[in-house]
Amino acid sequence: MSRTLFEKIWDSHIVVDEGGRSLLYVDRHLIHEVTSPQAFEGLRINSRKVRRPDLTFATMDHNVPTSDRSLPILDQISSTQIKTLEKNCKEFGITLFDINSPNQGIVHVIGPELGITLPGTTIVCGDSHTSTHGAFGALAFGIGTSDVEHVLATQCILMEKPKTFEIKIQGKRKNPHAITAKDIILSIIRKIGTAGGTGTVIEYRGEAISELTMEQRMTICNMSIEAGARAGLIAPDEKTFQYLKGRKYVPENYDECVDNWRENLTTDRSAKFDKSFTLSAESIVPQVSWGTNPAMTSDVTGSIPFAEEYGKGNPEEEKGVTKALQYMDLKSGTLITDIAIDRVFIGSCTNARLEDLIEASKVVKGKKVSPKVRAMVVPGSQLVKKNAEMMGLDKIFKDAGFEWRESGCSMCLGMNPDILAKGERCASTSNRNFEGRQGAGGRTHLVSPVMAAAAAIYGHFVDVRELDLN
Amino acid sequence: MKGSVIKYERDNIDTDVILPGPYLKIHDYAELATHAMEGLDKDFHKRVKPGDFIVAGKNFGCGSSREHAPIALSYSGIKAVLALSFARIFYRNAVDGAFLLPIEIDESAYKDISDTDSLEVDVSKNEIKNLTKNKIYKMKPFPELIGKIIEAGGLFNYKP
Repeated sequence: MSRTLFEKIWDSHIVVDEGGRSLLYVDRHLIHEVTSPQAFEGLRINSRKVRRPDLTFATMDHNVPTSDRSLPILDQISSTQIKTLEKNCKEFGITLFDINSPNQGIVHVIGPELGITLPGTTIVCGDSHTSTHGAFGALAFGIGTSDVEHVLATQCILMEKPKTFEIKIQGKRKNPHAITAKDIILSIIRKIGTAGGTGTVIEYRGEAISELTMEQRMTICNMSIEAGARAGLIAPDEKTFQYLKGRKYVPENYDECVDNWRENLTTDRSAKFDKSFTLSAESIVPQVSWGTNPAMTSDVTGSIPFAEEYGKGNPEEEKGVTKALQYMDLKSGTLITDIAIDRVFIGSCTNARLEDLIEASKVVKGKKVSPKVRAMVVPGSQLVKKNAEMMGLDKIFKDAGFEWRESGCSMCLGMNPDILAKGERCASTSNRNFEGRQGAGGRTHLVSPVMAAAAAIYGHFVDVRELDLN
Repeated sequence: MKGSVIKYERDNIDTDVILPGPYLKIHDYAELATHAMEGLDKDFHKRVKPGDFIVAGKNFGCGSSREHAPIALSYSGIKAVLALSFARIFYRNAVDGAFLLPIEIDESAYKDISDTDSLEVDVSKNEIKNLTKNKIYKMKPFPELIGKIIEAGGLFNYKP
């Protein structure tokens, strides 16, 4: 019987099947300081061990400061959370990339970077953006702390089988430097909505997906959760195998693995998806979110919508827009390019990998950040930071007036000191524009790294297609 | 289960407003509860009483996988959230940890139920009684597996 890629990975991980609901084996379990402490506590109370410490990897990313690492952490509660993870990893024999490790970074950046993320595997982590790893053809999803404890104890997870959802992006982007993977995924969410993928695993397909680099594919899969999907997948190809080759944790028989992946990890030609959605890449232009969820997004050439126009006769939608615009302090009809910003954040598991920083640096090179703007770059990992510094990107950003910081989740979720003040407006390369996400009363506009960089220079949004990005 | 309604006429109530990021460092559940819904309703913790229900629109709990969100609601006294639909990780966390019941209701029940109404929820009959308005609504029955996990008192007590 012909099967989709998702079905193949699902079937090959079933430990027990009870007609559609299965106990699945977990190949990789990634953990961090925020969603793991109670799980370890639970293990201790019940005198349980970690079943496969060799398949479990830990780092600290959510609350770590992005300032000088040689200084002590001032926030006592954060410091305790970090020490607790150190203690737990030591006690249970888990590999930890701690705050001083050259491999520390955002869990979804370091997984692929270290070759922990592999095609055809199942990966879980107590973080919703675990969907990122789907870019390698891994079935990867976020779980809560109870499930973290369950996986630590059993290396298995109980799941109802999700439906399959094909998202096809046909054709090619007109200007790949200006129209990025971020613009593709924001366009998708804008069309299918924040619950458009609920109960499904998305497989992204089509020419515009194939032509993306691995880092760009990660940006796409990362935001699958913003469409409500359980996971997002892209079939692995030669780019995937090339990216992973030689990385620290890939299997010793790597070439054999590749042969196997090449042969098996595709959706069969005649396989059927439960649901399908198609978008033309040629229709996509740079995107800017204006509201308080990622579906509330506009073309950079557009303007802030009127509630009636956006709601299309649905009073609940209209109310949603009115509330969002109130929170965002925006008036309907205002051109996107007329929106002035106070802060710029280039960072997060969505857009803080090396290519993101390279692309953003092209906009910044030889220019100055607008005097009205405070801008920062927070590399996704210490390795990204090191590689960027070897290329001189740090100098380009610093010369322009950007802050160049240590890696972590930082202002994406406002757990560490990097937050927006009340009323501040930020062009952010992160994934969520929820109310208060980047700081109580802060206002977030989701954009690509090049759009964020341009906003830093000009002090307002600009259409990056008009800039020379080559 | 009997209690009164705290209604938010909103879709997409996300985990960042249910329990804002800065409080993810807190390990004490009672303290977490004092910050429940803070991103949306600063007075929630003053208003909520043990046994209360939240009524809300579509895609409740979207966003982060933080179990702190259902925990904060649970420890502030919320026994069930009645919504048009739920984001899946929130739904799963609520059931796994036996923190609260995520109950799906239909559009007519959502519109009919008002803030401060008294409700009685009977899961065995899939029924919600509005004691204030003297009406009965149907809730969407829990899928078989979810029902069993709820009955067992969470994932760790569930034995297949």
